[in-house]
Amino acid sequence: MRNVRQIKPVAAYLLAGLILIYASYSMPRLLPGDFVTAMYSSSHVTLTADQEKKLRAYYSEQEGFSRYLVDLLTFNWGYSYAFLTPISDLILEALPWTLLLLGSAHMISMLFGFIAGVETAWRRGGGLEKIGVGSMTVLESMPEIATGVALLLIFALNLRWFPASGAETAYAMHSPMEWARDLLRHLVLPLSTLVLAYFPGNFLLTRGSMVMVLREKFVQTARAKGLPPARVRYAHAARNALLPMVTRFGLRIAFMVTGALVVETIYSYPGLGTLLFNAIAVRDLPLIQGIVLFSSLMVLFVNLALEYAYGWIDPRVNHAS
Amino acid sequence: MKLIGSGHILKWAFTSLFFLCTAFGEASAVLAQEKVKEIRIADSKGDWGYPNPFRHYPRGPGYVRMSWVFDTLIWKDKGGYVPALAETWTFDGGKLAFTFILNPKAKWHDGKPLTSEDVVFTLDYFKKHPYRWITVDSVSRSEAIGPHKVVIYLSKAYSPFLSDIGGTMPVLPKHIWESVENPESFNDFKAYIGSGPYTFRDFNKAKGSYLYEAFPKYYQGRPKADRLIYVRSGKPLVSLANGEVDLANIKPDMVDPLKRKGMIIIKDERGWNKKLMINHIKPPFNDKRFRHAIAYAINQQEIIDKSHRGFAAPASCGLLSIDHEMYNPGTPTYDYNPEKAVHLLESLGYRKGPGGHFMKDGQPLKVELLASNITVAGESVADRDGEVIKKQLESIGMQVDLVNMEQATTDSRVKNWDFHLAVSGHGGIYGDARILNEMISSQYGAGSVNSARYDANPVLNKLMEDQMLEMDQEKRKNIVFKIQEIYAEDLPAISLYYPDSMAAYNPDKGIQWFYTRGGISKGIPIPQNKMSLIK
Repeated sequence: MRNVRQIKPVAAYLLAGLILIYASYSMPRLLPGDFVTAMYSSSHVTLTADQEKKLRAYYSEQEGFSRYLVDLLTFNWGYSYAFLTPISDLILEALPWTLLLLGSAHMISMLFGFIAGVETAWRRGGGLEKIGVGSMTVLESMPEIATGVALLLIFALNLRWFPASGAETAYAMHSPMEWARDLLRHLVLPLSTLVLAYFPGNFLLTRGSMVMVLREKFVQTARAKGLPPARVRYAHAARNALLPMVTRFGLRIAFMVTGALVVETIYSYPGLGTLLFNAIAVRDLPLIQGIVLFSSLMVLFVNLALEYAYGWIDPRVNHAS
Repeated sequence: MKLIGSGHILKWAFTSLFFLCTAFGEASAVLAQEKVKEIRIADSKGDWGYPNPFRHYPRGPGYVRMSWVFDTLIWKDKGGYVPALAETWTFDGGKLAFTFILNPKAKWHDGKPLTSEDVVFTLDYFKKHPYRWITVDSVSRSEAIGPHKVVIYLSKAYSPFLSDIGGTMPVLPKHIWESVENPESFNDFKAYIGSGPYTFRDFNKAKGSYLYEAFPKYYQGRPKADRLIYVRSGKPLVSLANGEVDLANIKPDMVDPLKRKGMIIIKDERGWNKKLMINHIKPPFNDKRFRHAIAYAINQQEIIDKSHRGFAAPASCGLLSIDHEMYNPGTPTYDYNPEKAVHLLESLGYRKGPGGHFMKDGQPLKVELLASNITVAGESVADRDGEVIKKQLESIGMQVDLVNMEQATTDSRVKNWDFHLAVSGHGGIYGDARILNEMISSQYGAGSVNSARYDANPVLNKLMEDQMLEMDQEKRKNIVFKIQEIYAEDLPAISLYYPDSMAAYNPDKGIQWFYTRGGISKGIPIPQNKMSLIK
């Protein structure tokens, strides 16, 4: 019986995965326009009617869903129209940069947002809390584009402390140490923009949860037992305030591909968001399908992982009716 | 197909390791850094395809990236055509033949000599596998006379020959391409062996960066910079100002701040125009008088002032600008005259209803105006043109539904004639006058969303055919004058303005960048002429 309970969600996710595969196949085809129009129609090349017809026929070859599914399962994700390169190569080329930027931003903003939220809730009613909540509410309302452009103008254009674009100085002949520093220098501004965008939400959420948890009787019991305050805060209270944060983390991961698009664009940071944006602009159907599918499957996987993580973080979840 | 490349894993393993090294300040072997002179150029898109004739994107920046690697027979400098692979060229009108004498020093990047056989092969190859930037249909045959002399015979006169085949067609190495049956999928390193001043080294698709290295045995001398690098920058101007790159397109209102930073500013001639596409096959737009009414209702200067802070010039309705050698100053004009626009609409039977809007047969005069960000010289440019035009047309009594969409969707609707009016734009208007044919007639420009695809006037059609066959420049000029007059009179599309196009560069590298008169190749308005790095 227990095994059935464990298998059920997996089966549901497999079904959801199949639906998402179908969505990734069919939805990009609903986009108005096609690759030939997007690539050639406003270019310096003026195609004759015959050339255009041949090109359109070449790029409009319809493959059925069953063929698409078989190709996917055999790891044949097709070739990009624009790059004439395997989709998997393009995704793998961009993915590390997305993981580096988004992963770092999420980890930093989650860790520090959580700690700041716990500490502020613990010191409820103090000046620190008032300043913290006020300033974080203001920061939360700032769009990434505003923060990004402001940081760019201050630290790249005026102070010239950090580079304005890219993930590294292209083709620089650096030693390994110089290259690593160069990578960090390029990461600072986009990462700061994202941390400034994510941190306030994490802070406010943790603080709100923590305020509720601190009223619980088990926290009073822990205090009454004379446990050290840090142990009461983190081992007893904060652990119970962690669930909403984990949920938020999962939801954020869902926006991994598109979440950093604005920042990637401002700083020309290579990543899946930029790749998808450019693919849509030229109607590179196989590439759009590939990235949408990859993103969807990642969301599914993370949600499945969270299902089990909930139970591990808070055993009460496993016993909920 | 492999899903995970071992190269990626290794690269990221190394990346992680280097991060750790940095964090803990561990000593690491430092490679000797070779000091080389390099040039960095920024644009906001980055990806323009691989730099060979069959894989670069069909836009100006794609061609320019290829032009560093592949040379043409002749090329354009500041003042016009200059020798490239061909030292001299002559035209024999009686035989309809062009003779080119090739530079005997010309070599391919693999060290093999470039000969007239390569030119003959290229023409034959492009007949079999068309290079979409040009057509070689006018070439009947070509003949190699010795290693450095080639004669190209035409089946019929073809006036853009020098622009298209002389100055745009990249010459291919026969010893490499003769065995290539499918050029689009040929991606071996040999596919990038050309005879240009730079050898292609790398294109990073995710980062949109390109690396070229100087070809030391280049027949016009070693290029001035050892390395040429293109980088993608969301804000090319910022990258230029903080020293990350040496050349970038700029907005005209940034001229003064950049001058204060020591940058040199260059301004292009009027080679790009914004225009209003009209669905002239659909009533009421199929009536010339209705199109005239729209033209009189549009205040070009107001669009320039409100949408571009004055940094543009009103366009001629004949498409070509005053900077073009074949510009006709007598082209009909439609100076802003809302009263005349109203009068024209009334003459077509429209009457103003209670709300001040025109009606006819009980139906309101309602038009849809499509607008989108247009890509200019590789940069996507946002503006308020659609809003200003909407207000201008509404002020004479039309109801206008402004629909802002991304460019590919707008292009698709225009392409399928699923529109009323659309704000569009294109370059190439200071190149060869053939652009008129491409932007007017469906016979020449069926594939372009910027082409009016207007074939309703047989006199105009004949003139366009004639200008392609006229090899005498003065006679051709007269024909082109008439084309502009009739096009502006029939008005199947309305040119609105020529935006100011500027770039800035850092003079510290000792390179003088310039905009090419008439544009690079067929009229590309980008200041990245390879002659800047040669001699």
